[in-house]
Amino acid sequence: MVASGYGAARRWAVVAVLAGVLLALPSVVGALPASDADVPAPQLRADALASADVAFSGYAESAGGLTLPVGDRLSRLSDLVSDRTLMRVWDAGPDRRRVDVLAAGGETGYHADGAGGWVWEYEDARATRTAPSPLSLPTPPDLLPTSLGRRLLSEAADEELSRIGARRVAGRDALGLRLVPWAPAAAVERVDVWVDAASGLPLQVQVFGAADVPALDTRYLDLELGSPDPAVTSFVPPPGARVALDRERDLLEQADRRIARVPLPAELAGLPRRTIEGAPAAVGLYGRGVTLLAAVPVAGRLARDVAGTLRASPEAVDDGRGLRVAAGPLGLLVLDPPGEGAWLVAGTVTLDALAAAAAALPPPAEEG
Amino acid sequence: MTAVIVTRGLVKRFGRVRAVDGIDLDVRAGDVYGFLGANGSGKTTTVRMLLGLVLPTAGEVELLGRRMPRAARSVLPRVGALIEGPAHHGHLSGRANLSLLDASGPGGSWRTRRRRIDAVLEQVGLAGVGRRPVAAYSLGMRQRLGLAGALLRRPELLVLDEPTNGLDPQGIAEIRELLLELNRQGTTVFLSSHLLAEIEQMATRVGVLDRGRLVLQDRLATLTAPTGATVVRTPEPDRVRAALDGRVTAVDGERVVVKGDDPAEVNALLVGAGVPVIGLAPERPTLEEVVLAAARAAGDRVEVRERGR
Amino acid sequence: MIAVELHKLFRRPRTWTTIAVLNALPLLVAVLLQLTDLAPRPGEGPPFLSAVLTNGTLFPLAALAIVLPLFLPIAVAVVAGDSVAGEAQAGTLRYLLARPAGRTRLLVAKLVSVFAFVLVTVVVVAAVGYVVGTTLFEAQPIAGTSVSGSTLTPEELTGRTVLAIGYVTVSMLGVAAFALFFSTFTDSPLGATLGALAVLVTSSLLFTLDAASPIAPYLPTRYWLAFVDLFRDPILWRDVVRGLALQGVYVGVLLTAAWANFTTKDITS
Repeated sequence: MVASGYGAARRWAVVAVLAGVLLALPSVVGALPASDADVPAPQLRADALASADVAFSGYAESAGGLTLPVGDRLSRLSDLVSDRTLMRVWDAGPDRRRVDVLAAGGETGYHADGAGGWVWEYEDARATRTAPSPLSLPTPPDLLPTSLGRRLLSEAADEELSRIGARRVAGRDALGLRLVPWAPAAAVERVDVWVDAASGLPLQVQVFGAADVPALDTRYLDLELGSPDPAVTSFVPPPGARVALDRERDLLEQADRRIARVPLPAELAGLPRRTIEGAPAAVGLYGRGVTLLAAVPVAGRLARDVAGTLRASPEAVDDGRGLRVAAGPLGLLVLDPPGEGAWLVAGTVTLDALAAAAAALPPPAEEG
Repeated sequence: MTAVIVTRGLVKRFGRVRAVDGIDLDVRAGDVYGFLGANGSGKTTTVRMLLGLVLPTAGEVELLGRRMPRAARSVLPRVGALIEGPAHHGHLSGRANLSLLDASGPGGSWRTRRRRIDAVLEQVGLAGVGRRPVAAYSLGMRQRLGLAGALLRRPELLVLDEPTNGLDPQGIAEIRELLLELNRQGTTVFLSSHLLAEIEQMATRVGVLDRGRLVLQDRLATLTAPTGATVVRTPEPDRVRAALDGRVTAVDGERVVVKGDDPAEVNALLVGAGVPVIGLAPERPTLEEVVLAAARAAGDRVEVRERGR
Repeated sequence: MIAVELHKLFRRPRTWTTIAVLNALPLLVAVLLQLTDLAPRPGEGPPFLSAVLTNGTLFPLAALAIVLPLFLPIAVAVVAGDSVAGEAQAGTLRYLLARPAGRTRLLVAKLVSVFAFVLVTVVVVAAVGYVVGTTLFEAQPIAGTSVSGSTLTPEELTGRTVLAIGYVTVSMLGVAAFALFFSTFTDSPLGATLGALAVLVTSSLLFTLDAASPIAPYLPTRYWLAFVDLFRDPILWRDVVRGLALQGVYVGVLLTAAWANFTTKDITS
């Protein structure tokens, strides 16, 4: 029983005001307006691409809403685009960079030096030496707004770009740059890149498929300019750790070693073929910018394995033009004609474009 | 005489119930004030308001000349209290309990603590209990320990709620003697009880609470002053009526009430008429009668529990 | 007043029983680990436990991680829930307040004593963990390895362990504040304890729920595991600082509310 009088109402008012102020504080800070600057889109893109040498350290969060219907073989990849990943970054340029992917009870550290890099896995107490590779399956550091933003902007045409105001990201003024791909096959509706007005570093990247919520949203929560301490970025395997050489057998390596070459068409689903140095020649790469397609010849066993997992997905389409699944803007096709070989086609293209690709691909080579 | 407890228009409402309904207490220095009322009449609520535990809905309380609960910190160290039975930490000894209680407020120097504890334990008759935890005490021992806690700082005012609860007759007599002795030494005692006999035996002033209202407040001596009549006890009441025609106001078995405040004069008349007289005394109203009459006057019957135990 | 409350708390057999029970679980885990030599799979189970087999000096941290999610908060909720409601139930509250121990002072003293309990408990768990870890497992007193794979000197390791102990203690203050707050509303210690535990269970549940992600940063249990961040290199202060601030906000608001209630409340127990 509370006695009226004796300031009960006044005291509870103090409580209410205190709670109110504390609750409102974060939203007030978050609502600080960002100041826009009159930078044209091509210039902003150039600024972003030129920021590769800007040294900084920061804390980033990437959240993906994509559930890839693939099995354990690609679980790392699927975790990457479906989960929330927290990363700490120390970046002094491509030759001295450290990215820690944080977990509640551990972390995985990616240290890059001039001649390759170290991957430190705390949970396994394992340090793995990796060689530089022009093409490999994406790792969490590739999802950092700086890496992803620059990569997506690098092949964008000026006509695809427009300005979209400004917002505050990581407590900094960020200028918006919107990329709307022109390719008819594109499954990516648009990409919003928010570029730091001061340094040109991309601070946030949002990739939109057909849905209104981003299929991938990666942003810095904290960012500080300036060269990180070399002691922080260097890595020496600690005593007691297992040291290994990178023996990860990507699908790509497997394809390169074991699958015979098949002549690939110069164009697939309306996308021109392209070459990337160091990429296995057996793999066909098509497209530009955010509309990319990869056709990989794989063993039938593997294809059937992947197909089995894909079929379990309710969204799978299997209409005789190839088994296809879309996860947000990401499409996956398994083409497994009778015989030993099969095609695995993946890319940021529509299901129809995948069907067109299936029709245009030559019969896969028999296993050699 | 200075006022020790004064309340003006004290009201406490719990929801829609007026537990205490505008009472004006007046307890003066040196009093043994008997605060009488049935269970549920608002006694305990009033006592808690005096001590600042329950906050009044309206009205004010002055303790030792200072406003409560505002001046609690300076006033309460000078007040000893026993509220609705004793309460202690069962796993600690009586001595440790007293020590902790003394240390948890102002006005009890740690230098004299040991000595004071020894003294009060002696006073309430617990000197020999040693280090037994309170959980092993009997109800009567806990009551004594509670009283010891109230006496720890030689208070000017003792506020005691049912202090003899759970004591055997001998214990009751001991405690009564202790309280009267303290009163003689100058301690004002505010005694809240539903036991008429207890109040009648000890109090110098009486306040009667009936369903939240103070229906009576006066000196006990005044309330029970001779009425001007004489009570005669005789095996033959009819002959009294015959001998003292017109002066007999009431006959109840062997008890006859006769007008006239001089028993000797009445006795002489009766002996002269040859009426056997067993007993003879000036008539005084009992406290029970006074209380019942006051309650009736207040509009309702007060439920008074059995007298004594 | 504070001394009195500390005295009451630590003279109670129940307090020490609680602490002893808290130590039993890590001890049991350590013995089982030693007997079976089966460390949990990396990334599973409580943090640091997988590393204990190779370095026993990490066991204090593993012990803290073991008791942190459930046992420690329960113990804190029991003690803090009992603080005011227990006195009310025993009837001693009215004597304390008529003594008079000012209501605000009493509340502060209760909070301080609960804080002392948390600190003593956490330190005892860590100390017992150290003794158990170094006796049962292979100890590497020379150095430790941080989560980030760098090498920590013994001084760094000790310093960070002390920080972790401090952080875990502060993390428990939110629970204590909830229990103390409920404790001023009821005369039943059990009710206050269960109230605080209900808040914790709700918080832990919401934390795992994607739909609750907008309020996730405000959940009292949100930053509990951030003590792991103290063992990254360099230390990741972000969540630790947020955890401290969040606990500070909870303690501040709840204590003010407890004060507003307790100082204007009729003591009828």
